[in-house]
Order: sequence, then structure tokens, then C-alpha cells
Amino acid sequence: MVELLQNLIDGLGRGSIYALLALGVAVVFGVMHLLNFAHGELITVSGYAAYWALNDGWSWYLTVPLIVVVAVLTSLVIERVAFSRVRGADQFTLLLTSFGVHFVVFAIFLLYVSASVKTFPRPGWVTNTYAVGSLRIEVFDTVVIVVTLLTLAGTTWVLQRTTFGLSLRAAAADFDTARLMGIRSDSVIRGAFALSGLLAGIASVFWLMRAGSTVPSAGIDPMLKGVLAALIGGLGSLRGAVLGGFALGMAEVLLRSRLPDSVASLTEGVVFLLIALLFIFRPQGLVAVDHAERV
Amino acid sequence: MLEVSGLTTAYGEIQALRDADLRVGSGEVIGLIGPNGAGKTTLLNTIAGLLAPRSGTVTLEGDDVTGRPPEDLLRAGLALVPEHRRIFTDLTVEENLRVGGVTVPAGERGALLDEMAELFPVLRAKWTTAAGYLSGGEAQQLAIGRALMARPRLLMMDEPSLGLAPILVDVVFELVETLRAQGRTLLVVEQNATRMLEVADRAYVLRSGEVVAEGTGAELRADERLFDMFVGN
Amino acid sequence: MFPDLRRDVFVPVAAGLVLFGLFVGAGLFYQGALGGQERLVTFAIIDAILVLGLQVYVGNTGILSFGHIGFGAVAGYAFALMAIDPVEKAKRISDAPFGLTDVHLGPWAGLAVAVAVVLVVGAVVGIGLARSGAESGAVSATVITLALLFVTHEVARNWPDLTGGDRAGLSFKIGGALDSRTPLYLGLLGAILVALLYARSRGGRMAQAAREDDLAARAMGVNPLVQQMVALLISVSVVSVGASLRVYEKGSILPSDFFFNLTLVTLVMLIVGGRRSVTGALLGVAVITAGRELARRMGQDGFELFGLGLDDAPLDWIFRENLKTVFLGVAMLGFMVWRPDGLLDDWDLDRWLHARLRRWRERGAEAPEVPEVVPDLVEGGPGDEAVLVADGVTVSFGGFRALDGAGLEVGRHEVLGVIGPNGAGKTTLLNVVTGLVGSDSGRVALGGADLSGAPSHRIARSGLVRTFQNLRLFGSLTVRENVEVSALVASSTRRHRPPPDVDGLLVAAGLWDVRFRRARELDYGTSRRLELARAAAMSPSFLLLDEPTSGMSDAESEAMVDQVRRMAGLVGAGVVVIDHDLNFITGICDRVTCLDAGQVIATGTPDEVQAHPAVRAAYLGTSGGG
Repeated sequence: MVELLQNLIDGLGRGSIYALLALGVAVVFGVMHLLNFAHGELITVSGYAAYWALNDGWSWYLTVPLIVVVAVLTSLVIERVAFSRVRGADQFTLLLTSFGVHFVVFAIFLLYVSASVKTFPRPGWVTNTYAVGSLRIEVFDTVVIVVTLLTLAGTTWVLQRTTFGLSLRAAAADFDTARLMGIRSDSVIRGAFALSGLLAGIASVFWLMRAGSTVPSAGIDPMLKGVLAALIGGLGSLRGAVLGGFALGMAEVLLRSRLPDSVASLTEGVVFLLIALLFIFRPQGLVAVDHAERV
Repeated sequence: MLEVSGLTTAYGEIQALRDADLRVGSGEVIGLIGPNGAGKTTLLNTIAGLLAPRSGTVTLEGDDVTGRPPEDLLRAGLALVPEHRRIFTDLTVEENLRVGGVTVPAGERGALLDEMAELFPVLRAKWTTAAGYLSGGEAQQLAIGRALMARPRLLMMDEPSLGLAPILVDVVFELVETLRAQGRTLLVVEQNATRMLEVADRAYVLRSGEVVAEGTGAELRADERLFDMFVGN
Repeated sequence: MFPDLRRDVFVPVAAGLVLFGLFVGAGLFYQGALGGQERLVTFAIIDAILVLGLQVYVGNTGILSFGHIGFGAVAGYAFALMAIDPVEKAKRISDAPFGLTDVHLGPWAGLAVAVAVVLVVGAVVGIGLARSGAESGAVSATVITLALLFVTHEVARNWPDLTGGDRAGLSFKIGGALDSRTPLYLGLLGAILVALLYARSRGGRMAQAAREDDLAARAMGVNPLVQQMVALLISVSVVSVGASLRVYEKGSILPSDFFFNLTLVTLVMLIVGGRRSVTGALLGVAVITAGRELARRMGQDGFELFGLGLDDAPLDWIFRENLKTVFLGVAMLGFMVWRPDGLLDDWDLDRWLHARLRRWRERGAEAPEVPEVVPDLVEGGPGDEAVLVADGVTVSFGGFRALDGAGLEVGRHEVLGVIGPNGAGKTTLLNVVTGLVGSDSGRVALGGADLSGAPSHRIARSGLVRTFQNLRLFGSLTVRENVEVSALVASSTRRHRPPPDVDGLLVAAGLWDVRFRRARELDYGTSRRLELARAAAMSPSFLLLDEPTSGMSDAESEAMVDQVRRMAGLVGAGVVVIDHDLNFITGICDRVTCLDAGQVIATGTPDEVQAHPAVRAAYLGTSGGG
């Protein structure tokens, strides 16, 4: 029982980060039907920014806003440089464009920094824990969960109450009709990328605090988790993406602690297999979104 | 208010609309009738900027607005209630209306929302319901209300009675009467020609992408050839 | 008519030999005359095999796969485990599971095992892809393949007992690498031929049709899921051969050998050349190999490389060691933004050769005669009994009842018109009859066989073939290929009917002169005629036409009357036609059914229906207050 509770908390901590990433993927997918394989690059770029700042003597208090700002700006720059040119293209082009962006960013860091791991100091409290009864809870997990919940609440408020949020949801549901309401495609798409960058930036802060390092290929893992979580949740559904993120985090933690030792190292592989099974039995994801085709 | 002249629109090789002329005066209710595939929706979508015309001009209050995108045309005062209503089903009734009003200053939206609640009592009762749960008639009223939120000078409606039970068709036409009484300018595509001609000041008949007849509602109703125009004899 | 041995076998084989010669020749020239590295050419050949394997799937189905290198990893490990000497294996994986440490099969048997293992994995993944609703451009299918890449990578890294793990890997020491290039040449030639012959085969054509338009392919009796599975299995077999050769040539295998980097390289090669073309795949390999090598050397030596000795100090910021990776990323991005179909799009050598050959042979030849309409098929033979019946069909979309107990009944060789105002449910009824939309209740039967709820490709094979209101042709296939797809399906599924005569149909539909044009280049009226010819080539019992005259002028509509009659007569089919144009309907139909608000309001001869007061009211609406 205690172990299960422990897993639950760990899973929430891990799932929080995935949920933020997945929500960013889903927001962009909603308005552009682009599954963004370059989403993880926001973490790569902000990771190098953090490396530069922290080794330049910045404190984490200053670095955190820097990471978020860099992620938002990177997201906007990528939209402007690459994705704005393929708006409305077929899926094949969209998918490979985002894959191409991933590789260009990867290559730039390879070219101008180096292939080797760059480390930076982690905040001291990251490894601290505190006890509640017989549970050992990480301070870090607690912070992650609280900040994530606040972020999700803020995002919900933005999406439900602000003009931008309404425009975004309307455009995701039916772009042509949204334009008939006077919603400008440029601003809504850029807004979506900015929001996606903001969410990735917050996720990036946690990701980097825990990792304490970055490499040119650092974006692959978070990208994969974000994309998979969005897909588990049901592409196009924002609620589904958040749910998918938590489900993925929970599944990883539970498997890692429950699988017999001999195969525990294969957790990731098992998670992917479970996801494949999910697609076989529930191809539309956890939260289905209608895509009716008119013939 | 609106002048359309020589408008031709094509989808690839299909000329869906050929050299159409049309005029809407301020405060008029204009009907646009004709059989399936006559180009009525194409005409409205072209005026609204969703489709680019191959040739011809659209003039709104003396300004040439041909080929402008729909988001600009809305700001110029042209709103379209699209075919099949196209309400945002995941959004609540209130949110749908708010989306309709994104172009009006924030301070004025509250008053507009109140106005819509008054004009559409059935919607007021479902204010926070997701629009996907509305019945066809309610959804149509929502679609109209959403367009009115932009305070358009000219409101265009595409097949507002499509797929509605007869009693709800009555509601739609009563609404058209109400809007006319408010002095609004309307351009309505309708399949129910008889009803449309009863409420319209003037109407145009489209067939195979061309305007084949024009006249007041009474003139066209009295025209024996109307059925033939519809069925292609 | 199929297979056309010259077009589908001999010319592709000849073209394949030419391509093989050109590719290998270019490699040998570079290596010999230009003094280039042997290793570069060797790996270009291996890359070519992998890319050709990828092309078989991606090119023909239109589904983007990130997972083929994952299949490659499976094959590579299977091959290594079988082929490596037990003595070597004992050093790295002394207690491998399933007693694999002691297995020693040698390279050829190892290759066979690798292919077999990958086929099993491919079948399982293929089922998953099918369940996920894979079709051209499907996002979930792509993510599933990506997940596969990661599964294989994770397993390879974390199962050291089997794979030697992340750092050590497995290695051969059986005289190092391959001692001659012969296996590579054989592999390359085989891959080229498989890719070309598959693209021209029945399965390949059906997969391409589904790539162009999944729904229309189903309506022509193609089951895209089966074709995608076939393409996947062929594709992964080729990839396994390439992967095994790669492992053999390198003499070792590590998890990182078959991961993101190789995925990127092979995908860039494929899309730069043109993913729908076998020639393009090879061209892409050559261009990217050359470009990468150039970028690598410029990264090292700058302009020194060209013997120019220019001062490249100002360009130091770009001439750096990892320039080749930048080159790959930029190539992918650039092609996606500016030329997503690649250098060659779908141009292929064998098709070009065949077209040349044909033009040369056909100088001055006349078009075939318009075939005679087979009289006994037209004149309703024995039995005017109704054979297509739909009854009590009810369909609701959300709260909207599109059909409310509607139905229709058509006799053999009869022409039934379905009319009604906009939104009456005509197209929905046709969608239910052809299995594209499920009904809440009601029954569809053809000649006594119940078809209610059957998938659309099965309904098409039973003899109900439709056209679409908004034209759904296989756009990048030629006119003739469009018609051939349904003739192919008909030749195996409608054997009790006279086989469709593709050329005859093309002539009868007035398409003979444009038969080698791409369908997407046709004008509207011609496209409509092609849709009709394509449907007729299925030898259907009934042709179901959805608004065949929509968007046509009155004169064109009139011509369509003859067209429909002739095509239906040629294949002996009855017709159900939806149209709003009563002139057209009167001209062609024996009987007419009028729908309004999802219900049948009148049935009878065209004149009876036209005079019916309910029909008049349905078209013009009724007065207020009712």
C-alpha cells in the first residue's frame, strides 16, 4: 500500500512533465495538424542557454525565467523559419519538416558546441526528500506537481476565458469557420506556438534541473514522451494530452518498480509495447476526437 | 450596400459560378434560391472571401473588397452563417457567441451577449451547455447569434432551414422577420423557395452557376416557370 | 490484359539492370578513376538496398515510416547472432538466452533467419498499423513506426545478454568483413528488381491506388489494409537483407548503428530522390552520399579540397567537422519546403522506356474500334426481378436524422433515378448502400445476398460500384492505370462476369487520346467520364452514380446521358443515379424515387414523379404556418 502510494507520487511527478510537453504538442496539432517532432528541440536549445548562463555564474533564480523565455522564442523562430512555409501541406511534408527541424537544431549544436555532454550545477534541493509517515517524498516532485497544476490551471483559464484562448480553440475545431469570425490565422498559429513554447519551457526547467546536463540530442527523449503522450490521449484533444502525459508517467514508474529485476532495465521498451497494444485495441486514443470525412 | 458584378468562381476546372451579378441595398432582405449545385453556396463563400473569384468584383459600400480574406471582410461588416451551421461543438453556447464577438471591443461584448440572450431565449436556457448537445434548431439559432455578435452590416445566411423539422423552419423564418424589423440587411440562400419568397424583398434565382431570374418575392412566386428552373426542364 | 508481360515484367527487369549498371558503374568510376574511397562506395550500395526497401513501403502506400531502421536492427541482431562464430559469441554473450551462444549457421542461413524473424515482427507491427487506421499520410501510423524504432533500440541497449549491450555490441572476427562485393551486388540487384516489379504488380498498383485515395480504392474493391501489409512485408524483407549486409560489412553491430542517424540518412535519401520512384531512390542515395562526402571533406579542409587554395578563414564558421550532419538536416528541410516530391517525383526509368517503346511501335496505329454494346446484356435478360434492395434505412448523425426509413429497389439493367432537394439524404443513402456509412437500422441486399454492414471493398466486389460527387480519382496515376485498378480487382473477384476490356472502355468513354495522361491533369468533364469508366471496369451488377452532371453545363449533361447508357450497356450493369437535374434524370431513367427529409415521398416513372404534388412541395418548399 505504502509502496503503491509512493509510486503514485513518483508517477505524478514524472507525468507532470510529460503532460506539459504533450499539451504543447496537442496545442500545435490542433491549429496546424502538425505533429511536431521538433518539440523536444525547445528543451535542447533552452538547455544550452541554461548551460551558458549557469556556467557564467547566473543563479538558478535568474536562469529559470531565461529558460522559459528561450523556449518561447525558439518556438516562435522555428514557426517562422520552417513551419509557416508548409502550412496546409500534406501530412507527409509536415511530419518530415518537423523531423528536419529536429536534425538541423541537433546539427547546429554539434557544429558549434560539441557532441559531448555539457554539465551544469543542479540546484541543491533537487535531491532533498521529506517524510510523510513512511513515505519519502522528493521536494523536487512536490514542486513539479504543484507548479504543473498551477500551469495547467493557468492554461485552462487562458483557453476558456481569454479572447486568444477562445480563438485558439475555435481555430482548432474548424479553421475556416474561425476565420469567418474574424480570427486571423497568423496570430492564432503564432499564439499556439508561443503557448506550446511556454509549456515546454516550464517542462524544460524541471527536465534540466533533474538532468543537470545537455547534449545535442537531448531533445529526442522529451519529444518522444510528449508526442506519445499526446497520441495516447487522442490527438487533437487537449484534455487527452494531459491525461496521456500522466498515464505515461505513471506507467513508467509502476513498471520500473514492479517488473522483476532482470527486465527492469527494459521498462522503456515495455512501455512502448504497451502503447502499441493500446493502439491496437483503442486506435483513437483515450479521448476520441471526431474527424468526419465528407464524401 | 453590396454590389457583385461579373463574379466567376471555379474549383479547378468546374466553373461553379459564371458571371453572377447581384445587388443588396441597405435594409433589404434578399433571397438567393435555386436547385442543388446551382452555385448558391459558392456565391456566398466567394463574397465572404472563403473562395477566390476568377474574375469579377465585390464592392461593399463603395469599397472594392474582391479577394480579401474572410477575417478582413468580417471587420468590414460582412458576416456569413455558413452552410451546415458549423458551430463549435466542443465550446459552450456562451463561448460560441464570444468567439463570434472577438472583433468587437471587449467592453461591448457583455451588452451584445445580453442582446443575444434576449433574442434567443432557447439559448439562454443552455448558456453553459456544450454546443454539440443542441438540437438542429437551437444550433441554427446559435450560428446566427454567433454571426450577429460581430455586429455585421450585412448578414449572409446559407441554407438556415436545412435539415430542420417544419416547426423549426417556422422559427427560422420568424427570426428572419425579426431581423428585418430591426432594420438589418440580409442575404439568404434558401432551398425552401416558397417560404423565402414570402419574406424576401427581392430574390435571385441561380441555376448551373448563372443568375437566371430576378424579381420581387411576389413576382417570382407568381412565375409559373419557377418549378421548371428548379428541376431543369 | 494483366499482367502485360512487356510492360510489367520485361521492361522493368531491363530498366533494373540499367539502373544497377549505372549505380555500380558510377561507384566504380569514382573509386577507380577518381581515386575515391572504396568504403564509401560499399556503404552507398548497402544504403541503396535499405532505401529501396523503405521505398517499397513508403512510396507505394504513402505512409511515412520511421521504423524501418528498427526492422533493420532486428534483422542485424538476428543475423549477427546466427552468423557469428560461437567462439566469438562466448566472449561477449557467454550465456545468451535460448542457447543462442552455441548456434552457428553461417552467413547465408543467418540471412534467411534474419528475414524470417523480421517477417514475423513485420506481420505483428502490420496488424497494429492496420488497426490504427493506417492510410496515406496517417499520423498515428508514423508514430507507431517511430515507437518501434525506440523499442528495438531500448531492447538492444538493455538486454546485454542477447546483444552485447550498449558499448561492446557483437562482432565477427571471421576474417573481418565481407571479403568480396559479390553479395552486395546481388543484394542491390535483387532490391532494385523487387522494388520495380512490386510497383508494377497487382498488389503494388492496388497499394498505389489506396495511396492516392483510400476511400475511392475501397469503393473499387481494393482492401488497402491487405495491400499495405503485403507492401510492408516485402519492404522489411529487403531492409533485412540490407541490414544484414551492413552488419557483415562492418563486422560488428551496436545499438546506435541502427537508430536515429541511419533513419535520417535513409529518409533523406528517399525523399531527395523522390519517394514514389525507384530510380529516385537510387538517385537520392547517390546525391546524398556525394553531398555528405563533400560536406565532410569541406568540414575538414575547406576550399583546399578543390585545389583552389582559397582563403577560407572567413568561412570558418561553416567549414567545421560536423558539416555533414548539417547538410542532411538542411537537405531534408529544404526539400520538404521547396520540393516535397523530390528530384524525380514519380518518374521511373522503366515507365519511360516503355512509353518510348510503345510510341515507336504505335506509329500511325489507329485507336481500337468502339466496342459493340453486348445486346443481351442491355435488354434485361431473364428476370426483371428486383435485385438491389435497400429498405427501412435509418441513419442519424448526432441529433440529425439524415435517413428515416428510406429505401430503393432496382431491377437488373434498370436505370433508377434518385432525386430530392438538398439535404434530402440521397448521398447518405448511397453511402449506406456502398458501406461507407453505417446505418442504425435497415437492410441492403443484392440478389438475395445480405450486404448490410459489410465493408465497402466487399460490397464493391459483390457488384455495387459507385462514383463520387466530388471526384475521387487516383490523381497521380495515369488515366489507363485508374481504369486498370478496378479491372484488376474485377479479374479476380468478378469471374462470373465477362472480363472488362480496358481499352474498349477507354475508347467508349472518349478517353483513348488521354490514356497516358495523369488523372489530375484532366479537365472536369473528362475526369467525370474517367470516374464512370473506372467504375464500369469493375464489371459491376449496378453502377451507383452520385451527381454525375454536377458542375456541368446543360449540353455536357445531355452528353452524359449517352455516356452512362453506353458504359452501363458495355458491362451489363443496372444504374442508380442521383441527380438534381430532372432533365438528365428524365432522359436516362426508367423509374425515379424522390427523397425528402430522409424519406421516400414518391416512386414512379419520371413523368409521374415530376407531377407529384409532394415532389413539387419538396423542391420549392411549402408555405408558412404549416
